Amino acid sequence: MTARDLLPIAVAVALTALVPLFVTTNTVLNFLVLVLIVALAAQGWNILGGFGGQFSFGHAAFFGTGAYATAILQTRFGVNAWAGFALGVAAGALAGWIIGYLSFRSGLRGSYFALVTLAFAEVFRILANAAEVTGGAAGMLIKLDMRPANFQFASRAVFFWVALALVAAALVLTRGIECSRFGARLVAIRENEEAAQALGVDTLRTKLAAITLSAGVTAASGCLYAQYFLFVDAQIAYGTWISVEALLAPIIGGAGTAFGPLIGALSLHALGEIAKLFAGRVPGIDLALFGCLLVAAVAFAPEGILGLARRTRPRLKPAAG
Amino acid sequence: MSLIDRRTVLKTGTAAAALVAAPAYLRAQAGAVKVGILQPVTGALAQDGELGRTGAEAAINEINSSGGLKSLGGAKIEMVFGDARSNPEAGTQEVERMQAEGVVAIVGGFASPICLAATQAAARYELPYIVDVGVSDQITSRGLKNTFRFGPGFGIVTGTAVENLTKLNDAAGRPAKTVVLVHEDQLFGSGLAKLMQNELPKRGFEILDTIAHPTPARDMSNIALRIRSLNPDLVIPSSYYNEFVLLARTMQQQRIRPKGVYAVLNGAASNYRFVKEFPDAAANVMDCNHWHDPRNPKAVAVKKQVDDAGKLWAYNVPLNYSCVMLLADAIERAGSADRGKIIEALAATSGAFKAHIMPYGDTRFVNGQNQGAGPVNTQVQGNDIKVIFPESFADAKPVFPARG
Repeated sequence: MTARDLLPIAVAVALTALVPLFVTTNTVLNFLVLVLIVALAAQGWNILGGFGGQFSFGHAAFFGTGAYATAILQTRFGVNAWAGFALGVAAGALAGWIIGYLSFRSGLRGSYFALVTLAFAEVFRILANAAEVTGGAAGMLIKLDMRPANFQFASRAVFFWVALALVAAALVLTRGIECSRFGARLVAIRENEEAAQALGVDTLRTKLAAITLSAGVTAASGCLYAQYFLFVDAQIAYGTWISVEALLAPIIGGAGTAFGPLIGALSLHALGEIAKLFAGRVPGIDLALFGCLLVAAVAFAPEGILGLARRTRPRLKPAAG
Repeated sequence: MSLIDRRTVLKTGTAAAALVAAPAYLRAQAGAVKVGILQPVTGALAQDGELGRTGAEAAINEINSSGGLKSLGGAKIEMVFGDARSNPEAGTQEVERMQAEGVVAIVGGFASPICLAATQAAARYELPYIVDVGVSDQITSRGLKNTFRFGPGFGIVTGTAVENLTKLNDAAGRPAKTVVLVHEDQLFGSGLAKLMQNELPKRGFEILDTIAHPTPARDMSNIALRIRSLNPDLVIPSSYYNEFVLLARTMQQQRIRPKGVYAVLNGAASNYRFVKEFPDAAANVMDCNHWHDPRNPKAVAVKKQVDDAGKLWAYNVPLNYSCVMLLADAIERAGSADRGKIIEALAATSGAFKAHIMPYGDTRFVNGQNQGAGPVNTQVQGNDIKVIFPESFADAKPVFPARG
């Protein structure tokens, strides 16, 4: 990975970081924080699904584990919020490794893998809904105490920057994977697992590494959610909504690219908000409009927004040298 | 000749001076007071959200048509509606939008997760927030100064439910000894089942089985068969609308007739749609839930108005109506649309607040929770929903045991 690879990331992040200096309305900042949280979850999905071709329908399992771990550590064990965040990411990664080990060892692929991840997320949801330690169905509340030491900020702008920093880290991680031998092995598995194996790629190990990283990044998003809204319940943490968001954003934005998840999350949610503006007082119209646009996007841009941009961009003359 | 002559300047100047010098209330008349109404009108909770909106609109229309807020010179209330889309993120986003539009307070939320997130978002701006339904006890235990709940919390509702069940059974000569609990596996259901499992044996009931079901559930035959084989005196279901309707219908079809069906915080047992659509299945079903005060003429008038408009009546309507009335009362007493003053006035609400239509004792807030709030017991009798407990609000006698 060279400085050239990182330049687009640095420019994009720096420009985004300036947003709170110009936009001071919390409506917009709150919206952007939610977009960044979803984008981070989607970036996690993208490592496994976009690069590795292992489509998970249950990234909620990692999102929720991160969210619950940080909430439980803080409220039940008095762990500092920042340490809780790190441990939450670790817990999510561990959950990823375990689920990966169980399903990849059994040779589950394609739709079977997708179904198993979906089932894991559902099992986690039901357990979290019944267990004592997760507060059962009443959910968990993190005490409101707005101090930076508690990972709570009075200003939405600061939280925006923290979320952006994490998204930037995930961007760098993704770009690093893209440029590394690990990334090449992962793409080889995506394109043809048998061929990759024949070439000497340790497929189990590569896939396990991918799901662990993927789960860790998505768990970070769960931790952020918990710190931002200060409330988690089984439906929020392990509900299908986040699994869908996590896979929809990269697919719309461009799976298997560094910026795909971010662009996907931003355009999906911006679309939702714009649809809401036009819908006026009729409830649900915006969701219907949103659905139509989604169908159109998938029909006309199957490679996502980045793929569409690449296809329609006039070909430049190849640079000399 | 100049475009603006001396006379024009004089005239305009005098008018401007008069406007500035005029008492504050004259100017206030022009500006309306914006109140945020947050309800989930899309998604899984859409039906409840619409009911809540109906209640809030009824109160706002009434206040505006009877001269607006008097202490603000007759200022009208302008509703800023937000769709919480049945999830906490959307609720928070709408609170931010309402804040940007300059509301003085927010009423609503309906579901506990939405209320928890939305009250916190509002707390950042010291924006007064009145929770309409959300029963989670966590809502008023966080020390948020802006948050008030007019209705009862989970602890009060369930405690009262067990209490009243015992009284009801004792009064009828203790016909019920055995119980089967049927509950949905989320907040209401599982929390309630746990409490019942602890409390009922202490009061002489034997729990034969506790059956959990998910929401949504599409088939209740197995649960009904299980109930039939256990043959309990009492079935205590706590489920959302569709699941309970399904259970009640399945029980009716399979001729399972316990001595009583005693629901708690049930989505259907005190819902007119259920009573209208399935009168036989609904007959004699009891519920411990929020309900309006049937002896209050104002409540009857509001209900008639909603009925005449062809809209559904459920507890969300009187609760939201009462919450908006509570807010209006606080603004009147604060004499200003200043948020801090409204919060102070809300906290100081006393028994003198009579504009609500709930069967509550004197209003008094401790940590934002109305101490006068409580649930009532209702029973479906003669295709209508009647209050059977407590006696001070009841408009009918309980029919228990239901079968000879």
